[in-house]
Amino acid sequence: MRVLIVDDETPARNRLRQLLEDDGIHSIVGEAGNGKQALDVAAETGPDVVLLDIRMPGLSGIEVAHHLNTLQDPPAIIFTTAYDEYAIEAFETSAIGYVLKPVRQERLVKALQQAARISNRSITEVAGKSDMPDRRSHVCARVQDRLRLIAIDDISRFHADQKYVRVHHSGGEHLIDESLKALEVEFDDEFVRIHRGALVSITHIQSIGRATDGQMLVVLRNTPEDADGLIISRRHLADVKRRLKGA
Amino acid sequence: MAATLNADNPSQAYLPDFCAAATILVIVLIAELVAIVLTLAAHVTPGTFLTELAKMSMYMQWLALLSAALLCRSRPWLETFDSTRAFTIAFFMLASLCLLMAEITWQATSRYGLSVIIDDSHRGFVLRTIAVSSIVIALTMRYLYVASEWRRSIVLEAQSRISALQALIRPHFLFNSMNTIASLTRTDPKQAEEAVEDLADLLRANLGEPKQRTTLKQELEIAAIYQRIEKLRLGDRLSVRWDIADLPMRALIPSLTIQPLLENAIYHGIELLPDGGEVLVSGRRDGDNLRIEISNPVVPGKHGRKDGNNMAMSNIRQRYELAYDGRAAVAVDSSENEFRVLLTFPYEEGIA
Repeated sequence: MRVLIVDDETPARNRLRQLLEDDGIHSIVGEAGNGKQALDVAAETGPDVVLLDIRMPGLSGIEVAHHLNTLQDPPAIIFTTAYDEYAIEAFETSAIGYVLKPVRQERLVKALQQAARISNRSITEVAGKSDMPDRRSHVCARVQDRLRLIAIDDISRFHADQKYVRVHHSGGEHLIDESLKALEVEFDDEFVRIHRGALVSITHIQSIGRATDGQMLVVLRNTPEDADGLIISRRHLADVKRRLKGA
Repeated sequence: MAATLNADNPSQAYLPDFCAAATILVIVLIAELVAIVLTLAAHVTPGTFLTELAKMSMYMQWLALLSAALLCRSRPWLETFDSTRAFTIAFFMLASLCLLMAEITWQATSRYGLSVIIDDSHRGFVLRTIAVSSIVIALTMRYLYVASEWRRSIVLEAQSRISALQALIRPHFLFNSMNTIASLTRTDPKQAEEAVEDLADLLRANLGEPKQRTTLKQELEIAAIYQRIEKLRLGDRLSVRWDIADLPMRALIPSLTIQPLLENAIYHGIELLPDGGEVLVSGRRDGDNLRIEISNPVVPGKHGRKDGNNMAMSNIRQRYELAYDGRAAVAVDSSENEFRVLLTFPYEEGIA
């Protein structure tokens, strides 16, 4: 199998490389010292399995796992961790591969044999139990063969677009393969639903007002394409107003 | 007494709960004993003892229950003061209440022609009431105060013993260090050897019979060893600046209180910053006090951390409280980009 090693600590990466080289069965396609780099290398090299440290600065291992699942052919994931009793409990219940540091050769080989893809749902479950934040800092869009990270702070709205969601952000628009409902739950603190098919960022709201035909509209900052405003459905109006006041 | 102790902050809840039935029973009993003593002392006419006692009891119980009611309602407010002040205020409150009640009783009995039950002048009656009640209140307060202090010291002592155990190094650190050492044994055996020695020293300091205090020199040495091990793992991401030249190295400090703060600074700060950062440990002497400050950058966080570094903090707070009995302070200052802990404690020298 082709393995990608991801850990922010150099000695930890060295250790995994030594063990894999000793074993000699698997080949190492790359190493990454942080989450962003991991996504780049993964998109470039298409590994079969990623050895992923959970506790990393910036993008945590858990968030990286989420984003890796965006790839056309997502790799299997094996988490590595020194000590996190709650996360380990979650690995066991959702049958997610993991190895404990200090890593043992037999354990690593066995985990690689059993390595399997993991669902976004089980990742979320692990996130809830570990001490890392369970809200992602980015969403990830697949652009041809590459992954493009979009920071949540840069996003003005999510718009349902057939079976995908269109992300409008300061760098343009991208489609992501996620459900609006799940996004609404995960980013509940910063986004509010304005009608059945759209969530807007509360911090991006410039004003809300009434159009000549009596419809309520929301105008977002720095979004020329939405200069006319977006319709707020009657059902969601009270909620939007309440959230704006709270913000 | 039915006082419940708040485990997080043992300096609170030194007054018993005067609304609780058990406390009221004790107060009723004390009042009744005082009534018996007073009646026995004053009793002269044969055959009237029970009548005299009944009158005295009624008056005493009245005062006692009103006092309990007053304390029941004012306890939350009293507990906002430190214990000495709270007891002093409570004493004057109760003395004033008794004075007021004595006056009301006198007025009522004389107005309705019942003055016959009080065999005294107006002035004499009020003065006797206030003198007797002040003495009884003072004794009761003293008893409650001593009991609460005794209870508090037992709780603190027990907590500090538990704290000393909890001060043990985070498992996370231990396993990561071992992983680092496992890796170094191949790439750099010399460094692996040093790391094992450092780890051994650190564990020895943590495992030994918990010493209450150690010298600043030893304490800083442990922290430096800890830093060396973490540095192997985190590389250039971690730097620690020691600005401690002004500190008297012979000074005493509660043992293992700097290293956990450095550990917190790394675990919650540096480790989560993609480019790492610098922990600043600075110290100076300020008259009779020493001040040591540990500050670290943090991820500018709107999504605050889930786990508490509270356990280490409250643990250190308790140990300073116990060691210096209120003369030390552990202050935390947390801003968007920085986390700071300031330890202030008396400068004492000695043999550790």
